[in-house]
Amino acid sequence: MSAIGRIRAESYAAWYSFVRRRTAMFFTFFFPVLLIAIFGALVQTQSGQGGLFTEPAGYYVPGYLAVVVLFTPLSRVGSTVARHREDNRFEKLATTPLSRAEWLGAHTLVNVVIIGIASVIILAFILLLTGATLSLSWLLVPFIALAVVLFCGLGAILGRITDSADGVIAASNAIALPLLFLSATFVQPDLLPSWFAPVMDLSPLTYFARGVRAATFSGQGAYLDLGVLLVLAVAFFVVGALAIPRTD
Amino acid sequence: MEPVLVADDVQKSYGDTVALGGVSLSVGEGEVVALIGPNGAGKTTFTRCLTGTTVPDGGGVRLFGDPPGSADTDRLGLLPQAFNPPDRLTARELVAYYGGLFDESLDPEAVLADVGIDADDDTWYADLSGGQQRRVCVAATLVNDPDLLFLDEPTTGIDPAGRRSLWALLERLAEAGTTIFLTTHYMAEAERLADRVGLLAAGEIVEMGPPDELIATYGGASRLVVETDAGPDAFADSRFEVRADDGGLAFEGVAPTDIGDVVRDLDARGVSFEALSWSEPDLEDVYLTLTGERFEEDATEPTLTAATGGEP
Repeated sequence: MSAIGRIRAESYAAWYSFVRRRTAMFFTFFFPVLLIAIFGALVQTQSGQGGLFTEPAGYYVPGYLAVVVLFTPLSRVGSTVARHREDNRFEKLATTPLSRAEWLGAHTLVNVVIIGIASVIILAFILLLTGATLSLSWLLVPFIALAVVLFCGLGAILGRITDSADGVIAASNAIALPLLFLSATFVQPDLLPSWFAPVMDLSPLTYFARGVRAATFSGQGAYLDLGVLLVLAVAFFVVGALAIPRTD
Repeated sequence: MEPVLVADDVQKSYGDTVALGGVSLSVGEGEVVALIGPNGAGKTTFTRCLTGTTVPDGGGVRLFGDPPGSADTDRLGLLPQAFNPPDRLTARELVAYYGGLFDESLDPEAVLADVGIDADDDTWYADLSGGQQRRVCVAATLVNDPDLLFLDEPTTGIDPAGRRSLWALLERLAEAGTTIFLTTHYMAEAERLADRVGLLAAGEIVEMGPPDELIATYGGASRLVVETDAGPDAFADSRFEVRADDGGLAFEGVAPTDIGDVVRDLDARGVSFEALSWSEPDLEDVYLTLTGERFEEDATEPTLTAATGGEP
């Protein structure tokens, strides 16, 4: 059996483990739609008057996408690692040919598909509810896929560090919430203190937000951000794979 | 012939707690070795050291001549204790999933049939009974047709009939040449399946050997238990050793042909009784004798000398 066969077997199990949990599936797709409904439709943007949510609706597309790209892989992979450890599944897998990188690759693949579907729904709702004008660039595909890879790696690291699935949820919220609002997603950088700009550059989500915005809204070059995201995704995936427990 | 599994002076501690104090074991091809012992004796830690999922502090392990991390995983099968696979898959999907991780695997339906599970049942693993779940886990362990099986309490939670059918399956595997290392709290399981049984207590193998030899050495004599209100003093001159037992008297060393003599002796002494039961010593007696000796000696003297494995 090749690595592809092993990844296929692991992906199959991970996919059905997700789609057969109806509440998990519902809220994965419902949460970002709720955000769009609140901040895109209910809270109307007031262009040119300063403050939050004053940019055109298309400006916030990266923010809505970031919600699923960030929260879902981080909490799903992290809690899956914790659950695998609690249920002695890694102990079992350690005596199979499946490597840690293959395991993480399979779960990342499932997350890419799930978040890809969620992203299509989000984009449809954005167009439907906010009247945003945006360019549906092909670059959205690599940006979303790489960001998912990156945060799946970070989720695996969280799963290793924390001692339970509950711990993963708490830790992922603590990490994701500041990242979501301080990475050029919903809050324009010029609303933040000037000294904070370099800090924002440390967030991997910043490159996702800038790149997606460049590709879909502002028309600026997105390749530099895509390149940075690619390097970070590879780095986080490698560290995440190494972090997956093989022994106690 | 080189042993399939060799553990040499394996040591493991968690903080100040010594889980394994230097355990050695050698298991030959096609041999079935069972490890018994009290809760917390170190059975699971030792199993994890053997499979490489715990790194020992000292000593070494070889599987097919290689360290656990380098051993050919296609030849290994492990059923961990307290193992819960993904629970939203059916039995067939689960076994197919684990089979898909190996270069070659058996037909999931055939493996499930071997453990007494209907492969066409679409019930999710989460909704199966505890015994059915454990059987599915056994099937997931056998699906790659392993040459070396590690089973950590494989029949826990399975009803007696199901347990016996799994024993028959494991016996067939052993006859076909599969090497099996198992831990269990069921003495009948160890006695029936194992070529050798090791008693692990406080991180050391206290004794190891074929079940019948252990029973002959440590099991004590056969006994006749008599339900009666009489006390042992009335039998001070009996040719058998007589002790007070729960609700009666126990006549030690009574062979089946001696039972009539004991009954006549009871009548002659005017002792009335409700029932008689005769039993041979078994592995449970060995277990109680050895762990009892150990605990008693713990209080007064150094422990029994740990056995260091045996010949395959």
